[in-house]
Formats: sequence, C-alpha cells, structure tokens
Amino acid sequence: MARAADGRDVIVASNLSRTFRRADRQMVTALDDVTFGIDRGQFVCLVGPSGCGKSTLLKLIAGLMLPSSGALEVEGESVTQPGPERGMVFQQDSVFPWLRVIDNVEYGLKCRGVGRAERRKSAEFYLERVGLSHVARAWPRELSGGMLKRVAVATVFANGANVLLLDEPFGAVDYVTKRNLHDVLLALWTEAGSTERRTVVFVTHDVDEALILADRILVMHSGRIVDDLAVTAPRPRTTDGLMEPTMVRHKHVLLAHLGLENLQGDAKAPTGGEGTEP
Amino acid sequence: MAQRFDVLGLIGLVLLVAVWQLLTFAIPLIALPHPAHVAERIGEDFIVADYLLFYGLPETGLLDSMIYTTQNVLIAVALGATVGTVCGLVTARFDLIRAVIDPVLLVLGTIPILVLAPFFLIWFGTGRTSAVLLVAIYVAVILYIYAQRAASTLNPVYEDAAYTLGASRRRVVWDVLIKGTVPQILGGIRIALAGAWGLEAIAELLGAQQGIGKIVQVLAGSTDMEGIFAALLVLGILAVVFDAFTARFFSYVSAWSVEARTGGG
Repeated sequence: MARAADGRDVIVASNLSRTFRRADRQMVTALDDVTFGIDRGQFVCLVGPSGCGKSTLLKLIAGLMLPSSGALEVEGESVTQPGPERGMVFQQDSVFPWLRVIDNVEYGLKCRGVGRAERRKSAEFYLERVGLSHVARAWPRELSGGMLKRVAVATVFANGANVLLLDEPFGAVDYVTKRNLHDVLLALWTEAGSTERRTVVFVTHDVDEALILADRILVMHSGRIVDDLAVTAPRPRTTDGLMEPTMVRHKHVLLAHLGLENLQGDAKAPTGGEGTEP
Repeated sequence: MAQRFDVLGLIGLVLLVAVWQLLTFAIPLIALPHPAHVAERIGEDFIVADYLLFYGLPETGLLDSMIYTTQNVLIAVALGATVGTVCGLVTARFDLIRAVIDPVLLVLGTIPILVLAPFFLIWFGTGRTSAVLLVAIYVAVILYIYAQRAASTLNPVYEDAAYTLGASRRRVVWDVLIKGTVPQILGGIRIALAGAWGLEAIAELLGAQQGIGKIVQVLAGSTDMEGIFAALLVLGILAVVFDAFTARFFSYVSAWSVEARTGGG
C-alpha cells in the first residue's frame, strides 16, 4: 500500500520478505512482500499490533538479519550487515554496563578510530544535549531507565549515523519520562536543519507517540504495510495541535487499523489518510 | 562496611580457636593436639623441620613447602582458568564445537582425583607436572562451566548494539563477550582457587617430592598429630589470605557490576 520508491529515497525496499522457522518446524512469515521508499530526512513511524513484523523490518534495515527474498537498499547500497551509518536504539537497554556513561557514548567513535580528544568532545556535547553531563563518569547501573534511554540516544547521535532506527525505544518508561524523551529526540533531530536532518525510522505501537513524532506513518499488519499516512501538522506539536481535525482523523484511522475502532461504522472518521483500504 | 566484616571475621576466628581449645579437654591429645602446641610447632618447623631429614627428605621446612605448593596452585589455576575460559566462551557461541567439547570436559570433571592421579604419576612422574596438571583439569572444568554460562546468559542485545555502532568482530569478542562476562569468570576463578589448595595437597599426598601435602603424607605414618595440624593450618591460612586478595582485586576489576557491589561474584 505504501507508495513505491523514487529517486530521492534513502531507504528502498522492494518485495521484501522474511520467514522464520518456528521451534515446531512451522514456517512463519514475519514480513510479506513489502515495497516502500523513505525520503531523506524524514521521521517515519512504523505502527502496528505486536507481531505485525515491524521489528523484523527494522532489524532488516539495521542488517542484523537478512531478508528471505526481495531487495533492500540504504543510500543506494544493498544491506548485507550492520554498519555505523545505520544507528539503532533497541527496545532493551543496550548501554554496556561495563563502560562508564561517557565511554558508552564514545564507543562507536572509538571503533571507527576517531582520536581520543575528538571523540571525548563529541561525547560530552551529546551528553550535554540529552541533559546527562552530570553523570558522565557514572556506571550505567547507577542510572534510571529513562536516563539509560538518553544515553542510548546520545550514543547513536554521537556516532553520526545518517539513518536512525529506533525499536520501541521508550516502550518501558513512564508517561512523563516518555514525553521528555520525545522532546530530547526531536530537539536533536530538528537542530540539524531540514537539509541535514537524519532519516529516522521509529517503531512503536503507541498511536499518540507516532502522531507526536512522525512526518509519515506506515501502518503494518500481518507482515504487510496496509496504510501510509502523511502527518503534515506543524512542529512542535502541542496538546492542542493533536486535537486538530486532521490529527483526530489520523488517530481514528490508526485505532481502526489496530482493531480498536470500526472505521466504517464511525461517523467521525471519514476516509482517513491517503491510501486507506476501503 | 568492610572494616566491620573484618572485625566480625576476627571474632569468628577467636571463637574457632576457643572451641578447639575446649574440645582438647574432651578428646585425647593424640587425636586432637592443643592449639598452643600446634602454633609452637609451626614456629619450630617454619624454616627447617628436623623430622623431615629423618624421613629422608632434604633439609626443608614449612616455608619451602608453602612456596612450592603455592607456586603449583597458581600455575594450575592460571593454566586451567585460561583453557577453561577460552573453551567456555567459544562453545557458548558455536554449538558444533560445544557438542564436541561438552562431554569430554564434563566427564573429565566427574572423575575423582584419586582415580586420575595414579595415571598422571605414571605418565608425568612425581614432579611438579603431575600435580599442576591434575589441579589444572579441575580448575578448567569449573571455569568452562562458568564462562559458558556467563556468555550464554549475556544479553545478545549488547553484541547487536556493538555491531550497529561499527564494531568489528574482533572488537565484539573483546569489548562485549569478554568484558561482559568478567565478573562471572572471576567469580569462577575464586571458587576454583579455593578448591585448588585442597586438590593440590591431595595430589602431593599421592605422590610428590615436596609440598605441604608431602609433609602430611610423611607425618601420617608416624601419627605426629601436631606436625600434621601445623602443616594443614598453614595451608588453610594460605588459602584464606589468597582468597582475601583475589576478592579485593576482583571487586575492583568488576566495579561496574551489581555482583561486585554486593560482595558476591
């Protein structure tokens, strides 16, 4: 359902499929013939019920998993393995417990041979930007869950990836912390200016989170992309902004896709976004 | 906190000696010697123990034996821990190799030292090699299990994260697999070290030219209880002192982990 790729796209997937063999030897199709393109600098949210294949798609883009069939290109190159140009924030805490906070933020730069002084400067800058300068020398175990997420975000930004992949990164934190993390993430993403912006693919099952963050929402169901919504509301998106008629309409469409509302039966939700299935 | 535990440990030791002293009133001295006599004996035998000459050993004492036994224990732990850790980490990531090594090492670990020792004495003689290899085998088995479990339970997200940050395979092995399992491996080394003193003494008992175990073996024939107690006591002291040092060093190295903070691992 998503529009096909064109020349400007930074991520291009064509007929992408991925199957797994379960322990009981049955084959499961996690991703079923998916084709789409993602623009440079766009903030894209992947929304869908659990088990719809959104995390699988993200792992494929990250190169942590290879497709069963189809093609996947990032920056015009076929994805065969993980690489620092595609940074990832995981659902679980991935901050290394055995490195101090600042050494965690520096780790990617260290791997790529950036000099000590330079990488320290960069790590300090991003730690400051996520509001964690005061715990630079702390051990990760001394930090709260929300702070660990900030460290993970600072780490991928410091590493300079052009494509940021976030797999339900804020799923396990409380509402207030989550809203603060959104602000931190959007501030880092917007400050680069619209031409330099990094491309973000953000997996979530939280409809409100998607509406606050995304330029575009891809809805997935049973391994397929079933809808493609453009969210054009201005940023920063306020509580009032989320109550604008277009946003409310988007929300109805998303809830319907998640099986929480009946789209046809709901008078308030007419046609939905572009490409909605009849 | 640490100082309070030291004081409590001291109280425990005093209690132990007191109980020992009390027991000597009930048990004949030929079976349980007096603590003061044993302490005196340690002093007498420390540099040169005359009775050893009588049993045909060269001029030696408790100190020489302690050094010999300690050297063997440290070499065996270093050797066994290296082999066991490497095998454990590798097998945790490669099922095929694991299927081959698992039975070999685990069966080796279940063979009693009394069964294994005669073969080693025949193959390698009564020198250092036999004792060191015997102890190293048991250390390797313990470390194999500890390292394998540590690597298996290490959350795969750390390796994935390292790769997406641009780490090479070699870096992932060193920066994630090894660093991430250090606390559990060190915990295994500490347990193996504690057991190694006893195993080394047994190995020396069964056939050696020197060492604390050799002294015990020589004196066992003459029912010299004071001498045996003196030898065993210095062995125990060695084990406790080395354990205290390793514990302190290990908690420094794994300062990042929760285990280190709570005094475990």
